[in-house]
Amino acid sequence: MRIAWIIARKDLALRSRDRSVFVIAFVAPLALAFIFNLVFGGGGNDIGQSVQFDYGIVDRDDGPVSQAFTEVLEAIEADGLIAVQPFDIEPDARAAVEDGTIDSLFILPSDLSANITTGLPANIEVVGNVDTPTSAGVAASIAERFASGLAAATDAALTAVETGVIGPDEIASAAAEAGAQPPVAALVGIDAGIRLLDSATFFVAGLSIFFMFFVAGLGVTSMLEERRDGTMTRLIAAPIRRSSIIGGKALSSVLIGLVAMVTLVVASTLLMGANWGDPAGVLLLIFAAVLAVVALMSFVGGLAKTTEQSGNLQGIVAVTLGMLGGTFVPIGDPTSFLGQLRFLTPNAWFLRGLADLGGGNIVDTLPAVGVLLLIALGFGVAAVSVARKVVSA
Amino acid sequence: MTDRPVLEATDLDKRFGDLHAVRGVSFHIDPGETYGLLGPNGAGKTTTIAMVGGLLERDGGQVLIEGEPMTVRTLDPRRKIGLVPQDLAIYPDLTARENLTFFARLYEISGQQLKDRVAKVLEVIGLTDRADDRAGEFSGGMKRRLNIGIGLLHQPRLLILDEPTVGVDPQSRNAILESVEALSSDGIAVLYTTHYMEEAERLATRVGIIDQGEIKAEGTRRQLVQMVGERDRISITANGPLESAVTDLRGMSGVEEAGASDGQITLLVRDASELLAKALETVTNTGASVSSVAVEEPDLEAAFLHLTGKALRD
Repeated sequence: MRIAWIIARKDLALRSRDRSVFVIAFVAPLALAFIFNLVFGGGGNDIGQSVQFDYGIVDRDDGPVSQAFTEVLEAIEADGLIAVQPFDIEPDARAAVEDGTIDSLFILPSDLSANITTGLPANIEVVGNVDTPTSAGVAASIAERFASGLAAATDAALTAVETGVIGPDEIASAAAEAGAQPPVAALVGIDAGIRLLDSATFFVAGLSIFFMFFVAGLGVTSMLEERRDGTMTRLIAAPIRRSSIIGGKALSSVLIGLVAMVTLVVASTLLMGANWGDPAGVLLLIFAAVLAVVALMSFVGGLAKTTEQSGNLQGIVAVTLGMLGGTFVPIGDPTSFLGQLRFLTPNAWFLRGLADLGGGNIVDTLPAVGVLLLIALGFGVAAVSVARKVVSA
Repeated sequence: MTDRPVLEATDLDKRFGDLHAVRGVSFHIDPGETYGLLGPNGAGKTTTIAMVGGLLERDGGQVLIEGEPMTVRTLDPRRKIGLVPQDLAIYPDLTARENLTFFARLYEISGQQLKDRVAKVLEVIGLTDRADDRAGEFSGGMKRRLNIGIGLLHQPRLLILDEPTVGVDPQSRNAILESVEALSSDGIAVLYTTHYMEEAERLATRVGIIDQGEIKAEGTRRQLVQMVGERDRISITANGPLESAVTDLRGMSGVEEAGASDGQITLLVRDASELLAKALETVTNTGASVSSVAVEEPDLEAAFLHLTGKALRD
C-alpha cells in the first residue's frame, strides 16, 4: 500500500504539473455546474422541488371501475405529485396533450365497468406528449398498476359469485373496490421515481456520473503512457510488486474521481440549489460509484494497446452507458425492456441510489451501493487481469 | 569483495513466436568488471538484459545475482541491480530532484539517507545546479545523465546500461563514459551494451560479441583481436553503392572478409600490399568514389567482421 501511495502521489503531482488534474477535478465540474445553472436557471428557485405532472382524464364509463380509478388519481394528486383535469370531450383532451397544456391523458372507455363485470378484457388508454416521455411513462405505470390490481380483484370477485358470497350485480363494484387498493401501495415506488425526476438534481447527477467515466480512465491511460515512454520498464525493474503499480494507478483515479464528484456536488448545491439529500448517503453513493466506474473503465482501457485506443474505447463505453443509463434523456417507461436494461449500468444505480436517498435515508441507498460495489468487484478483478499485461516492459 | 561473480547468466534463451531472439547466451561479470555486450541492432542485446534484469520471462536458462536467482517474480535481487534503459525513462514534468526522489522511494530509501543519496547522485551526474529544473527542459545529454543517475540511486552491485550514449552529443558522451569508468573503479560491476566499437574498446574489461541472438566470442580486447590472426585491415571511405562494391570484393581472391557501414568499407586480407590496388579498382568500378584509404592493425571491428562476416553496423 505504501508503494501504491508513492506511485499515486507521483501521478497526482504529474497531473497537477500539466494542469489536467485541475481541469478534471475542478474546472470541468464547475463549468458543468455553471452550464446546468444556465440551462435550468432560476438560481435555485425551482430546484429541489418535486416535479408535478399535469394529467387529464376522460371518463366515458362513469361506472364503479372508473370511479375507483379516479379515486386512485385523487389520492396521488393529494400528495402534490400530479394534477388531474377532467375533460368531457375527448378531442379537446387530446388537443390539450398536443399543445402541452397537459402532459398525459387517461381515457376510460364506456364499456370499462361492463367488461370487468363480465370478465372481458378492458383497456385504459394513456395518451402521452412526445416531449414529456417521463410523464407518459409514469402515467402508463399508474394505469398498468391499477389494471393488474383490478384483474386480480375481478378473479376473486368471480370466484365469490360462484361460491354465492356476492351476487353477479356486485362484481364490478367489488372488483373496483378491491382493485383500487394495490395501485395505492404500488405508487410508493412511483413516488420515489418522481423524487428523482427533480430535473436539476437528476441532470447534475446523471452528467456527473457520465463525466466520472472520463476521469476514471486516467489510471489505465497513464499506465499505457508509462509503457510508451519507457518509465514502465524502470518501475518493473524496481523491487516492487506489479500489483502495487496497478494499485497506485487505480488509487490516483479514485482520488481524482472523488474530488471531482464532491466538487460537482458542492458547486451544484451552492450555485443551483440542487437537492442531493443526506450528505453521508451522497458520499457513500459517490464512493461506491467512483469505485465501480474506475474498475469498469480500467478494464475497458486495459483492453487497448495504445493510449489512443484506450481513449477511444473509454469514450464509446462512457457514451453508450450514459445513454443506456438514462443520463441524457430519462428512460420513458421504466418497465420497458430498455427501462430494465439500464440497471446494467452504474449510471442507473447511482441515480437510483440518489432517488432512494431522496425518498428515505442512508439505509435506503444500500441496495444501490451494494450493486455498485459488486460492479466494482467484478470489473476490478477483470481489470487487474488485463492491467497485468499493460504492466510489462 | 568476494570472488563470487555479481552476475552469472547461463544458457539464456528467448523466443518471440518464430523469432529465436536469444540462443543459449552465457556470461558472467565479476565485481569491478565492465562487460561489453557488442553487437548490431537486433542482435539480442536488449532482450538479454531484459532477462538479466527480471523484466522478461525467459524460455530457458538461469540468472544469478550474487548467487540469488533472478526471475520476473523475485524482488530482492532487484535491489542489487541498477537498470538504465535505452529509452529516456524519466518524467519530463518532474524536476531532476523529484525524479530521483520518486525512484529512490521505490527502493525504500527514505529520510536523511534519501536526501543524501539524491544530492550525491546529482553531483555525480553533474546536475546539482539544475536539480530543481524540470527534466523536460534539459538537453539530450543532461536527460541521459539523469537517466543514468536514477540507476545509481540505490548503490547497486550491478549496473546495466543499455546503449546509454545513443543520440548523445560528443561532449555528453565523453562525460557518460568517464562516469562509467569511475563507477567501475569503485567496484560496481557494469553490463554495457553498445553497437559502438570504440565504446566497448574503451570501457570493457571483457567483451561478448553477440549476433543473431548468440554470443559468437568472448574475451578481452586482445583475445578477440588475436582471433583475427595475422591479417591486415583495409578501411576504404567512399560514397556510392558500397553494398555492391562489398559483393564484388568478397569475390576477390585474398579477401577473407568484407563489410560496409557508415560510408566505410572494411576488408580483412592476408596481405594488404598485394590487394590494395585491385581492391580500390573494384570499388571505383562499381561507381563509388573513394575519398580515403587506410591500412591498419586489426581491432574489435575487424574481430566482429571476422566472427560474423559482416560489419558491426550492417
